[in-house]
Amino acid sequence: MSVMRVSWGPQHPASGQMRIILDVDGDMVVNAIPSVGYTHRCIEKLAENRRYYQIVPLVERVCNLDAFNATLGYIQAVEELMGLTIPERAQHIRVMMAEMGRIMSHLYWLAIYGIMPGFLTMIMWPIGDRELFLDLAEMVTGCRVTYPYFMIGGVRADLPAGFAERATKTLNFFENRLKDYERMMYKNKIYEMRAKGIGVLKAADAINLGVVGPNLRGSGIKADTRKDEPYQAYDKFDFEIPTEERGDCDARARVRFREIQQSISIIRQALREMPEGPVQVKAPLRPPAGEVYKKIEASRGEMGFYIISDGSDKPCRLKISSPSFRNLAALPFLGRGVTMADIPVIYFSLDLFALDIDR
Amino acid sequence: MSVETGIVEDLKSKFTDAITDASVQRQARIILTAKSEAVINVASYLKENLGFDFVVSVCGAEMPQEDLFTIIYHFWSSSKKILITLKTKVPKKAPKIQSITPVYESANWHERETHEMWGVKFIKHPDLGGLLLPEGWKDLPPQRKEFKLTG
Repeated sequence: MSVMRVSWGPQHPASGQMRIILDVDGDMVVNAIPSVGYTHRCIEKLAENRRYYQIVPLVERVCNLDAFNATLGYIQAVEELMGLTIPERAQHIRVMMAEMGRIMSHLYWLAIYGIMPGFLTMIMWPIGDRELFLDLAEMVTGCRVTYPYFMIGGVRADLPAGFAERATKTLNFFENRLKDYERMMYKNKIYEMRAKGIGVLKAADAINLGVVGPNLRGSGIKADTRKDEPYQAYDKFDFEIPTEERGDCDARARVRFREIQQSISIIRQALREMPEGPVQVKAPLRPPAGEVYKKIEASRGEMGFYIISDGSDKPCRLKISSPSFRNLAALPFLGRGVTMADIPVIYFSLDLFALDIDR
Repeated sequence: MSVETGIVEDLKSKFTDAITDASVQRQARIILTAKSEAVINVASYLKENLGFDFVVSVCGAEMPQEDLFTIIYHFWSSSKKILITLKTKVPKKAPKIQSITPVYESANWHERETHEMWGVKFIKHPDLGGLLLPEGWKDLPPQRKEFKLTG
């Protein structure tokens, strides 16, 4: 049989704003070639023409599902360049909101990943429960999806009155919901048949391809920026780095599920041990000349911000090394010699996000 | 002597001519400057002998008042938890450099992006086809400073 070329995306409802060119021989995929760039917004170029504080809402668009972590990464890099020390209360609030961002992003992923092995309920439940966290974010920041809440020098406003009670209530409810998810999908026989042993990425291959984040941890490698290079107040929190050994789609999915549980625990600790004090310091307009590389564990993996400053109020160069771009290399590797039906499961188990790839 | 200083000393003694500058910026950060023809050798030494297993990014940069492009590589060692920034300069006219993809497979996509955005040719790269820009892009590589924003 001859090989046929099929375009999967960029308008396919399942692919996101990217295209995968599939060479198929009958039902078998011979080659999966990612074709990206449909949502390229030149963020790195635009940043060279904006002042440091104007870039904050811009980098948020790098990964708008995970806006808290994206802005935090950039802000940390600028703060290190300026030599600012952030008040402890602001650091705790940042950690708490960043973990909330991780939960929201993982829930969104879980919803879409869930439908690929055939669990239509899984798009209803996590999206519905994500609303609760959006409500919490709205209570703190005033916005639901993108929030320029972190600012250079701290956070924009203190927590509103009654936040801790409401957050605790949400967490209590949500923790019970996680058991439902587990029963619904993770322990389901059909799910196991569709995801276990599919798309196996061995540890050596994962390192070779430069995979990061939950995908790397799903291959059994314990690497997490929150532990490797603790930023903000992460060294004061007690949490684990979940890893799975098998390296298949199910392992990556389980890592993310267990990360949600760890995030809940971190938010609880932050609420319990929230220090008192101011939430911001005054930041200068211009950092001194120099360069900085700062990384952060975003929900899709390690996100790096490299800034070269020439002493003016605009960066000379801002390089964003985004996790999905680095994970993209795993797709052609895993998409070889599998059936067409496995492609969506593999693709979503990697949690590639087109906005994050293109920047 | 800290681990970082040890690495710097090791690299300085191994590449006396090729590495023009090496320093420890702060804890877990090392900045190297190397001659462009030696980058491939430095990269394979970092991978084989010093345990730097990840290429975090490859990017270009353009400093003001300089007639050269800077190409910047970031290497991360997951065992030592140290990040190396390796910089090298290439001329602005027909910039080219040896690709490090044969050594680090993970550099593949980063070099493709740098090729597209800066017009730097990576010699012996397996596939330097278009990545992010629209097909048939005829204008200047957009990350160069001479490409001005409009609108």
